[in-house]
Amino acid sequence: MTQIFRMWMAKQRATVVTLLIVALAVMALFARFEAKVAVSVLLSGLTLGAIYFLVSSGLSLIFGLMDVLNFAHGLLFMAGAYLGYAFYASGFGQALDSNLRFAIAILVGGASGALLGAIMEWALIRPLYKRPIYQVLLTLGLTFVGTEIIKAIWGTIGYFMNIPAFFNANTPNCPSPSLFDFLSDHCSSILILGRPFPSYRLFVILFGVLAFAGMMILLQKTRIGIIIRAGVQDAEMVQALGVNVRRVFTGVFALGTGLAGMGGVIAAPIIGVNLAMGQEFLLQGFIAVVIGGMGSLVGATAGALLLGLARAIGDQLVLGGLQLPWMEQAISLSLSIARASTVLIMALVLLLRPSGLFGKKD
Amino acid sequence: MKLQNHRLTFGLIIALALFPFALSWLTGEPIDSGTPKFWQGMLAQVFILAVYAVSYDLLMGYTGILSFGHALFFGAGGYTAGILLKHAAWPLWAVVLAVIVVAVILGLFIGATSLRVQGVYLTMVTLAFAQMMFVLSEATDFREWTGAEDGLQGIPVPAWLSPTQQRLMFYFVSLAFCVFSYYLVRRVTQSPTGRVFIAIRENELRARAIGYNTFLYKLLAMVASGVLAALAGMMNALWNLNANPNMLATSTTINALLMTIIGGAGTLSGPMIGAAFIHLLGYGLNTAFGPRWPLLFGLAYVGIVLFLPYGFVGAWRSLIARMKAKRA
Repeated sequence: MTQIFRMWMAKQRATVVTLLIVALAVMALFARFEAKVAVSVLLSGLTLGAIYFLVSSGLSLIFGLMDVLNFAHGLLFMAGAYLGYAFYASGFGQALDSNLRFAIAILVGGASGALLGAIMEWALIRPLYKRPIYQVLLTLGLTFVGTEIIKAIWGTIGYFMNIPAFFNANTPNCPSPSLFDFLSDHCSSILILGRPFPSYRLFVILFGVLAFAGMMILLQKTRIGIIIRAGVQDAEMVQALGVNVRRVFTGVFALGTGLAGMGGVIAAPIIGVNLAMGQEFLLQGFIAVVIGGMGSLVGATAGALLLGLARAIGDQLVLGGLQLPWMEQAISLSLSIARASTVLIMALVLLLRPSGLFGKKD
Repeated sequence: MKLQNHRLTFGLIIALALFPFALSWLTGEPIDSGTPKFWQGMLAQVFILAVYAVSYDLLMGYTGILSFGHALFFGAGGYTAGILLKHAAWPLWAVVLAVIVVAVILGLFIGATSLRVQGVYLTMVTLAFAQMMFVLSEATDFREWTGAEDGLQGIPVPAWLSPTQQRLMFYFVSLAFCVFSYYLVRRVTQSPTGRVFIAIRENELRARAIGYNTFLYKLLAMVASGVLAALAGMMNALWNLNANPNMLATSTTINALLMTIIGGAGTLSGPMIGAAFIHLLGYGLNTAFGPRWPLLFGLAYVGIVLFLPYGFVGAWRSLIARMKAKRA
């Protein structure tokens, strides 16, 4: 019995470690704050985690399959957001009601991300499979070019994307007392343990969960998924078995960048549409992937969740003022400190486990 | 061949030293105003950027470490110099020492963490560190010292080196800085240590098999290139009289990459030519096309990555080799 348990532990070590870290963080959170504050911090963390997942899953899959680290991933996230916003705010779109418009905007973001990604892989990255370092140099250069193009079209000022009407009602009986009531009154926030939480963010969490489930089904239950997983193991062997791996490469690249493009639109009502978002989320995607380990979808998900929680807890601590035991007064810090500290979390993981939580040792 | 190269270098240095006087004689304007003063400034910036590019090449071209966080050192040098000059009123020699010390500490810390991983992981980790510094430089918590998103303005530069009042002096100091760095990096790359750097780039496993502790050598490369980049950043801050978050931004790293790749990675003259090319062409494009010129740059960069992987110097060398083969 103990033997079986030990084998199971060895196999699931990464999962166990991840769950332990999360459990510790949650316990610390509940010890430090009231339950309702802690819950809303957790939900904020899940919201961020869902957005990070949309970026990191593509990064991780693309790297796992074709060994390309796509520095243009953030650019496509941003391009998706800009194009989705352009549709959402355009005159053509105004004819439709805002919910349908938003749904189409998500599709526009996803489609433009996938299309741009597919073109990029096919035209620019494919000639460079023999020169791996140059792929990285190229995608970094593409980020530069793409950002300049976006700047030329939309200017340097940022835009604010309105939350669609489904999540944006503001009647006297708002915020909705429960999730069930929300379905009839569509308030912009819902009371959770007596504390209002934006309903749109709950939708983001739901979207992230659905995207994860969809990816898992695609990878585990379909024929294409088998080919992709086999390709991650050994692309040449799959090629030798008569599968057109190059086409699978393009498809996976488009899938990853499409998810990122969708993520851009999903994130836009929360963070706005601006020129800094690509860089910011590319970096968070990297950190998530480094924490989780490259080439594994579960790893990318775990990394994104851990990072999202860390950011949410960090923001809460920073905003509430940080008071360490030896301090007389709490020091108040800006959010930049919380943003910067995620990099240190990554450095810590790298020091303890260079291949990430779910990564294979090479 | 070697002797010719030496002569060429010396000739170039002397030409650059005489350049302000020649330009003043040609235009008939006094040496400390008008066109001569403007071009002294342009070339002084080229010298500073050349050192920055060469420092990056030591890491990427010679040792084969692709770091995307080089801006961190450049900005750290600028900010260290700016803060010490403005808030602590240190003398310049002490500031130079402090910049070196800060760069060594940063290089050791970042090297020790990021060099544990390889390849693309390293690029991500170094990018993350640089981005952390960028975020911190904009943080409002340190506005008192760093000026947050406005940058550290009005750095008091010693009167004898003032880039506005004593432009000719600044020109010669930056020229000397550039020549000194060039010879330093040349000495390093031609030394046994430099040979190990190249061995690591070519095949790290083999270098380790011979018995070299490649981690230490890579750490050394990172620290050395970091110190040079920080000094270049210090000079840049002295020239601009300010240090701003832009010095730490990813675009500054891309600039280093651009100069190195365009000129030719793994050569000494390449990055310097690249620096001159980019700065002077950037000025030309800026006057011709206005604020859209970075787009042209980016496109040129993508084109060079795709079609001229060894840069100008590489392309030139292979052209010469082909000509010789044809003649033989």
